[in-house]
Amino acid sequence: MSAPIETMVSGTINGRTVAVAKDTPLLQAARDNGVGIPTLCHHPALPPDGNCRLCLVEVGGKLAASCLYPLREDGFSVVTESGKIAGARAFVVKLLLSRAPEDECLLRLAALYQTAPDPRLAGDEDGCLRCGRCVRACHAAGSDAVALVGRGRSRKVAGAFLEPPADCAGCLACARVCPTGAVKFRETKNSRSIWGKEFSLAPCPVCGRTVGTPEELARAGLDPGGALCPECRRRAMAGALLALPENAAPKRG
Amino acid sequence: MRLDNPAAADELRTRLINENKTFTRRLWVCGGPGCLAAGAAGVFAALADAVAGLGLAGSAGMSCELSGCLGLCEKGPLVQVEPEGWLYAKVTPADAPEIALETLSKGELIVRLLDDPKIPLKDDHPFYKPQRRLIMSRMGRTRPDSLEDYVAAGGYSALSKALSELGPGEVSRRVEASGLRGRGGGGFPAGRKWAACRSAPGPVKYVVANGDEGDPGAFMNRSLMEGDPFSVVEGMTLGAYAVGAAEGFIYVRHEYPLSVARLKKAVGTAEERGLLGENILGSGFSFKLRTVEGGGAFVCGESTALMASIEGREGQPRVKYVRSAERGLWDRPTLLQNVESWANVPAIVAEGPEWFKSIGAEGNPGTKVFSLVGQVRRSGLVETPLGTPVGTLVDGAGGGARPGRTIKAVQTGGPSGGCLPREKFDLPLDFDHLPAAGTIMGSGGLIVMDDLSCMVDVARYFTGFLSGESCGKCAPCREGLTLIGRILDDLCRGRGRRGDVLELASLGETLSRTALCGLGQSAANPLLSTIRYFAEEYREHEEEGFCRSGRCQGMFVPEIDADACRRCFRCAKVCPARAATVKSKREPPEIDLGACVSCGACLAECRFGALRAAPKKKTGETKARESSKPTPDDSSEAAAGRCSQAEARTGSQKEKKGPGSKRRRS
Ligand SMILES: Cc1cc2nc3c(=O)[nH]c(=O)nc-3n(C[C@H](O)[C@H](O)[C@H](O)COP(=O)(O)O)c2cc1C
Ligand code: SF4
Ligand code: FES
Repeated sequence: MSAPIETMVSGTINGRTVAVAKDTPLLQAARDNGVGIPTLCHHPALPPDGNCRLCLVEVGGKLAASCLYPLREDGFSVVTESGKIAGARAFVVKLLLSRAPEDECLLRLAALYQTAPDPRLAGDEDGCLRCGRCVRACHAAGSDAVALVGRGRSRKVAGAFLEPPADCAGCLACARVCPTGAVKFRETKNSRSIWGKEFSLAPCPVCGRTVGTPEELARAGLDPGGALCPECRRRAMAGALLALPENAAPKRG
Repeated sequence: MRLDNPAAADELRTRLINENKTFTRRLWVCGGPGCLAAGAAGVFAALADAVAGLGLAGSAGMSCELSGCLGLCEKGPLVQVEPEGWLYAKVTPADAPEIALETLSKGELIVRLLDDPKIPLKDDHPFYKPQRRLIMSRMGRTRPDSLEDYVAAGGYSALSKALSELGPGEVSRRVEASGLRGRGGGGFPAGRKWAACRSAPGPVKYVVANGDEGDPGAFMNRSLMEGDPFSVVEGMTLGAYAVGAAEGFIYVRHEYPLSVARLKKAVGTAEERGLLGENILGSGFSFKLRTVEGGGAFVCGESTALMASIEGREGQPRVKYVRSAERGLWDRPTLLQNVESWANVPAIVAEGPEWFKSIGAEGNPGTKVFSLVGQVRRSGLVETPLGTPVGTLVDGAGGGARPGRTIKAVQTGGPSGGCLPREKFDLPLDFDHLPAAGTIMGSGGLIVMDDLSCMVDVARYFTGFLSGESCGKCAPCREGLTLIGRILDDLCRGRGRRGDVLELASLGETLSRTALCGLGQSAANPLLSTIRYFAEEYREHEEEGFCRSGRCQGMFVPEIDADACRRCFRCAKVCPARAATVKSKREPPEIDLGACVSCGACLAECRFGALRAAPKKKTGETKARESSKPTPDDSSEAAAGRCSQAEARTGSQKEKKGPGSKRRRS
């Protein structure tokens, strides 16, 4: 399923000629061609934001954030490793380490780019990199319960008015995409707490497994009290299809 | 009365010019921000009363009006007398009866009201000599809210010509050929944006004016919006016509209520008269213009943040690898220019690109309005051709240093601009020479600093300002500026460590390359330019804990030069610690260094340059203190560093003061 030929653009990545569909993000083009670029704020399922600046590469000699740099014209020339790039990444890693000095991923990057946290930024180690992946995930899930609030160094992820967010459905979309595990939640068999809010957990009426919070089910248009878990739902749907009369099956071709 | 064809606008102009000929004499009280703050409204009211009292109001071809900014704010309230061209300075309401009687009715000059008794004519005054006024040409000749005055002074001749003769392609071509460069900061060729937006496909396009002006100490855009709002409105109408936009927005900072009011009124008046809105001048072209108030964040002046703010989203920059002219406001092709850029457009369209290119320097046509502030004798708004040397503004228009002081540097381009040392004062002020010297044109701020300004402290101050204004989206700016700010804080408190300056230079350079938007990319300019030109001051701070400017508390001791001292004893009076005592009227005061808190108040007070900052003598006690290095977990010190940034930020945001006016609070 390749794109029509006229919308392809070609250029080089680390000296190798590549051709990609016009407007492909550089990061994707590189990865598709087997070239790795480190990222933090990028998540493949979320719209890119370009805020962490770890994925900087050189395009025609200038640094650009590869996660959202669109390849638009023929003749691009991209370099993904250089002294300048290493210096830029070392700088970013040094700064982010001041927030999450124990994060494994950051420590590995610190070793790679030979940097360490600066003691003069000490005192604000809350584990959060302000990458906003949680915020984008929450938006994608349909809630907008948390946002990055405040500006400058006091910027942080929080609900409106810094209170437990009214719109939070307790779906854990945020926690699942957090690169450092800074979004904390607790869960028992029938309850969950996150962002200072408590949720009950609804069991699947068939198998009894936890399906989610009633709020999250309602948000998806499902019965908050008795929605089936994904597996039981699949089974139920397959059963319904088998029960359909022959001619009701959608025609192909 | 609606003007329903292009010729009607020209007829109106001819009629108004003839009417104005009946005036024998007019007084223009400057209604610019500086003069209003100095009490111009009271002067105007008193003059109006006095004129009425003499029975001159409305008859006898005389009048007294409030005008836009005359520029020489330092000497306000100003009154200009036409047709003589005299300029009265520091006028008070008490002067009003005399002005009305002697000057207005009899045509007599009142010498005592002149700034310099030998120079009655405004145009001969050294402040105005190097100037060439295009953007400010109508200020002092028109009432800012009067469409009639604007039209009589040539306004709307460009629009009527565009609609009747030129057509949109030719309007755009004139701007492209004029070589106009954006006045809001980067100096990007306006014509390229016009051409790109004009050829961008799509039925819906927008034009936007950037009137956010967030630089501390800057007020040239404000004076323009308050003093000649119609020029912005006409310029935008021409832009919309050229690119095919039906809607436009003027984004004005919320802290400028008078600008908002004047622009709204201008838009309303232009609509009533058929110069805006549906079917402009009967041509079939329609354009709706609205004003939008900004939320007050500095970063909202950045074009992508500004558009986000207009769209109702958080005013935050976006990474943009596709230009606004292609995809801007609501993802539609958008032509965004600074208000001063827009105000240049009518004259370019009316007079033609060749005329425009004849003013200014190679590749930098036209004029620029600068706000000249800080430690100069005459501060105010100065409009000169681009390419005028820095020194012509600072020493010529500005009159040089204040008594007893010498000028050390000038910071150009607002908070993220760089500082140029005295040796660079022959540098032409334009979009090419400034970046080559490590600074920027920005929106035209010029902050003059004298020998009492510590360049490390200047870098600390602006870094603190920008750190507080950083939106916090990208890591380099959010965390990196904080780190740079903390190192600078340490240096300015005598806690510098070996290697700090080298590290600062490296952090600054990397920040410039990695930040997401222009704020972070330019935020290191104050730091890098001061390191470049004032390396010795940095070295003294780092290695000796010494501040030669007497600015960084506790890092110097005052020393009196007995020969230069004129025994005025002002220093003894201002010393908050009573460390300077007068022993004999014939001897300089004695300074008790044990009591001295090293605040620098005396240095600032001396008019004769007799006091200077000297390195501290190292006693056993101070040595011990200086060698104790701060530890990383010394949270109270870290917290103190943050506080001082917060203080700098609130001070500058609320009152829009430069570093100069913030000094010496003690
Ligand atoms: C942090 C930041 C603040 C800015 N503030 C302003 C401003 O107050 N006014 C302005 O006209 N441009 C400002 N700019 C520049 C705008 O992004 C934009 O380039 C300009 O308005 C374009 O108009 P011009 O080409 O006519 O100059 C700012 C840029 C940055 C990065
Ligand atoms: S450079 Fe600063 S202001 Fe610009 S996006 Fe990054 S954090 Fe925000
Ligand atoms: S991954 Fe591209 S900026 Fe964060």
